[in-house]
Amino acid sequence: MKRLLVKYYKKGDAAFLSHRETMRVLERALRRSGADLVFTSGFHPRVKMSFSPALPLGVAAEAEYLEAAVEGEPDLEEMIKRMNDALPEGMGVTSLQVMPGYMPKLSRWARYGLYRVEGGGGALHLCMRLDGEGGGRLRDALQLLKERLGVEAEAVTRVGIYASRDEILEENPGKVYFYHAGKGELEEMEDSGAG
Amino acid sequence: MGDGVDSVSTFFKRDIGLVSKPGRYLGIEVNARHKPLSTPGTNCVLVYPDVYEIGMSHLGLAILYEEINDREDSMADRAYLPWVDMQELMERKGIPLFGLESRVPLGLFDLVGITLQHELTYANVLRILSLAGIPLRSAERRDSDPLVVGGGPGAYNPEPVADFFDFLVLGEGEEVIHEILDAVREWKHMGKKDRRGFLRRCASIPGVYVPSLYRVHYRPDGTVSGIEPLEGAPLPVHKRVVPDLNEKVKPRRPPVPLVESVHDRCSLEIFRGCTRGCRFCQAGMVYRPVRERSEDLLHGWGRELVSATGCDELSLSSLSSADYTRINSLAERLSEDLERKGVAVSLPSLRTDSFSVELASRVGRIRKTGLTLAPEVASPRLRAVINKELSDRDLLEAVGAAYREGWRKMKLYFMVGLPGEEEGDVEAICGLVRRIMREGDGGGPPRGLRLSVSVSTFVPKPHTPFQWARQISLPETARRHFILKEGLRIKGVTWKWHTREMSYLEGVLARGDRRLGPVVEAAAREGCLDNWSEFFSWERWRRALEGYGLDPAWYVERERGEEEIFPWEHLSAGVKKSFLWEEYLKALRGEPTPDCRFADCTDCGACDGKEIVNRLAGGGR
Ligand code: SF4
Repeated sequence: MKRLLVKYYKKGDAAFLSHRETMRVLERALRRSGADLVFTSGFHPRVKMSFSPALPLGVAAEAEYLEAAVEGEPDLEEMIKRMNDALPEGMGVTSLQVMPGYMPKLSRWARYGLYRVEGGGGALHLCMRLDGEGGGRLRDALQLLKERLGVEAEAVTRVGIYASRDEILEENPGKVYFYHAGKGELEEMEDSGAG
Repeated sequence: MGDGVDSVSTFFKRDIGLVSKPGRYLGIEVNARHKPLSTPGTNCVLVYPDVYEIGMSHLGLAILYEEINDREDSMADRAYLPWVDMQELMERKGIPLFGLESRVPLGLFDLVGITLQHELTYANVLRILSLAGIPLRSAERRDSDPLVVGGGPGAYNPEPVADFFDFLVLGEGEEVIHEILDAVREWKHMGKKDRRGFLRRCASIPGVYVPSLYRVHYRPDGTVSGIEPLEGAPLPVHKRVVPDLNEKVKPRRPPVPLVESVHDRCSLEIFRGCTRGCRFCQAGMVYRPVRERSEDLLHGWGRELVSATGCDELSLSSLSSADYTRINSLAERLSEDLERKGVAVSLPSLRTDSFSVELASRVGRIRKTGLTLAPEVASPRLRAVINKELSDRDLLEAVGAAYREGWRKMKLYFMVGLPGEEEGDVEAICGLVRRIMREGDGGGPPRGLRLSVSVSTFVPKPHTPFQWARQISLPETARRHFILKEGLRIKGVTWKWHTREMSYLEGVLARGDRRLGPVVEAAAREGCLDNWSEFFSWERWRRALEGYGLDPAWYVERERGEEEIFPWEHLSAGVKKSFLWEEYLKALRGEPTPDCRFADCTDCGACDGKEIVNRLAGGGR
C-alpha cells in the first residue's frame, strides 16, 4: 500500500461547494483516476482518504491536500489527467506524489492556513491555526482586520497549508498578520530575516 | 439577452454565498454539457419542479438531457425549484429563475420542459413559472415567450394544470422529443409567428396533447359531459411507446449531483413496464408492455456508467427489478466486476419473496443498511382485491431470509383505504407485524430486528382499475391510523404514516378536472413545496377550493359509475377503459388476473401485436 498526497485547487464558483460536497467530488474523481484504491472495511466501504481542514463556504483555495491509499504502482501523470477530467469547473489537481514513509499524516502537519485577503484595491496575508485549539474562525479574523486595519475583505483565498509558522515565512510572502484566536489579537509575524 | 444574464452573473458574484447549500445553484456538475444558447438552434431547459436534491435523481430528465444535447441543432440546460431562502433572495434582488448551466433566465429559452411526477408538485410548477416571469397561462403567452411543455406520469391527467401548458407529451419521450425539436426549429426559422397555428401543427405529432385544442363540457352536477376536439385535434391522444429499448441507451454520461441527492446513486434502467397487474398501481398500467433490455447491453452499460460518473452505487432500476428474466446472471456479473472497485449493486424495488431477498443479499454483499419490502396489505381478501399474489408465508420467508443474511433494519410498506377494506383488514396489518416479530427468524423471534412500518393512504389514480373507486375521507383515515397506533405498539417496531391531508389533496388533484386550474393558481400564490411537510398547508388549499366553490369530497370520496366520462377521457395510456372496468369488477369479486408475461394475453390494449409487445431478454413469450 502506498500513500498519495494530492494537491488541488478550488476557485471561482467551486469555492461555494461545502467541505462535504468537495469531498464527494474528489472521491468520485479518485474513483475515476484508474488507481487501485484502498477501501475502508465495514458495511459501507469508502475510499480510504483524508482531507485538509474544511474551508469556509465561499473561500477559494490554491493548494489544498488530500491523502489517499492505493495498491500497486500508480501512474501519477495519468491519474492527474483523469482526475482533472472528472472534477467540476474551478477545481483541479496540480500535483500528486507518493508520500515517503517518514512523512507524517496530513492531519498531523496541516496546522496553519495562509490566506490572501483582497479588498480596497490591495491585498494582505493572514495566517491562523487550523486545528481546534488555538484555531479560530476566519470570520472573526476578518472582522478584526476590518476593525484594526480598515480592510474590508472582498475576496479571500487560502493560498496554502503549512506545518509551522517558519515554513510560511520561508515562502517569503511579505508582511503576514497572524490571528491569535485565544487572545482575539492580530500580530505581525516576525520575518526571520531570510529575505 | 442583455439584462437578465448580466444581473444573474452579478448575483452570483455578490449574493450566492448568502443562501443555504449554494452547490445546488452552481451548475458546474461533472458531465454537465454547458452548451451555449444559440439563435438558430433550439434552446431548451428541462425543469424538475422540486428541489435539486430530488430533481437530480430523476432518470427521465437525464435521458432527455442527453437526447437533446446530442443534437447539433439543439441544447438543453437544467433548472429546479430553488429552496425557500433562494426564492426569497431572488425575488428581492429581482433575479428571474435561470438555467443552472447557462445562467440565462428561463424566459429566454425556446422550450421549457417540466416533468409532472407527483400531484403535490403542481403548485411548484406555477411557482417556477412565476419566478421565471413567464405568463402562467398558455393563453396569455406571446409568440416570444417560451413553449411550456409537460411530460411524465402527470401528463395522463394533467387537467388541473392543463391551462398552464402549451402542450404535454404522453408516454415515453426519447423519440417524440426529436419530432418536437424539428417542429420548433422550423417554427423558429419562420420567425416564431402564429403561436396557435404552431400548436395546431404540434397536435398532429403522435403523443402530443395541446390542451387549448379541447373544450370540456360539464353537466350541472360537475361531471364531464363531453370533451370536444377543436381545429382537427386528435381524439384520443395516444401515448408514445418505444418498442425496442435496446435501441435507446441513454443516459451514458449523466451530470453527477454536487449536493447529496435523495437517491445518491447511478441508475441503470434494466426494463420498462410491469404486467403484474396490481390494480392500484398507475405505473403498472400506463408503462405497459414490458420491454427488457438485453443482458449484455446492460452489463457493458452499467460498467460504463460507473466509470463515467465515479458513483459508488449502481442501482438496477425498473418497476420490479427481480422480475427481469436474466436478473441473476446480470446482477452477479455486475457485482463481480464492480465489487472490487468498491461499488455496490443495488435493487431498489424488491418483490416480497425470498428469491428477491436472497438476490439482493448476493449482489449487495458490501452494503446492508436497510431493506424495504412492500406487502401493501395484510389480509388474503385484500390481496385478491389488488391482485397481488402473496401469502403471509412468502412475507415471513422473505423477512427470515433477510434476517439470516444479516439485515437488522427492515422497512415494510402498507396501504390503507383500498376498495372494500374493513377494520379487520387494518387490524390484520398489526397481526402480521406481530407475527413477524414473533416468528420472523424461522419460527422464532428475530432478535435485534428493527422494523419500521410505513403506511400510506390509497389514492385512486386515472388509467387504473380503481379510477372509479372512492378514496376514504379524512375521519376514516384517522380511524385507521388509530387502529394502527394501538396495534403497532410492539417492541422493535416503529411506524410512520403519510400526512392524511396530503393524501387527500393528492386525491383531489389526481382525478381533478380543468376547473381546478384557478385553485392551483390561488394555492400557489400563497405557497409551494406541498410535498415537504414543513410547508404543506391543507388550509391554504381548502380556502382556495372554497373560493371557487369546489368541494374536495366530490373529487375524492365519490365513487364513479360505469358511465362516468373522466376528465382524462381524451387521453389514452394504451390500456382500454373496458379492460380497466372489467378489472375493477374482478377486484370487487376478489378474482385474480394473471401476469401476461407468463400466462395468456388478457387483451388490455397496451400492445399492438406487431412492434409493441412484451419483450423479454431471457426469451419466452
Ligand atoms: S396487450 Fe396483452 S400482452 Fe400486451 S400488456 Fe396487455 S395483456 Fe399483456
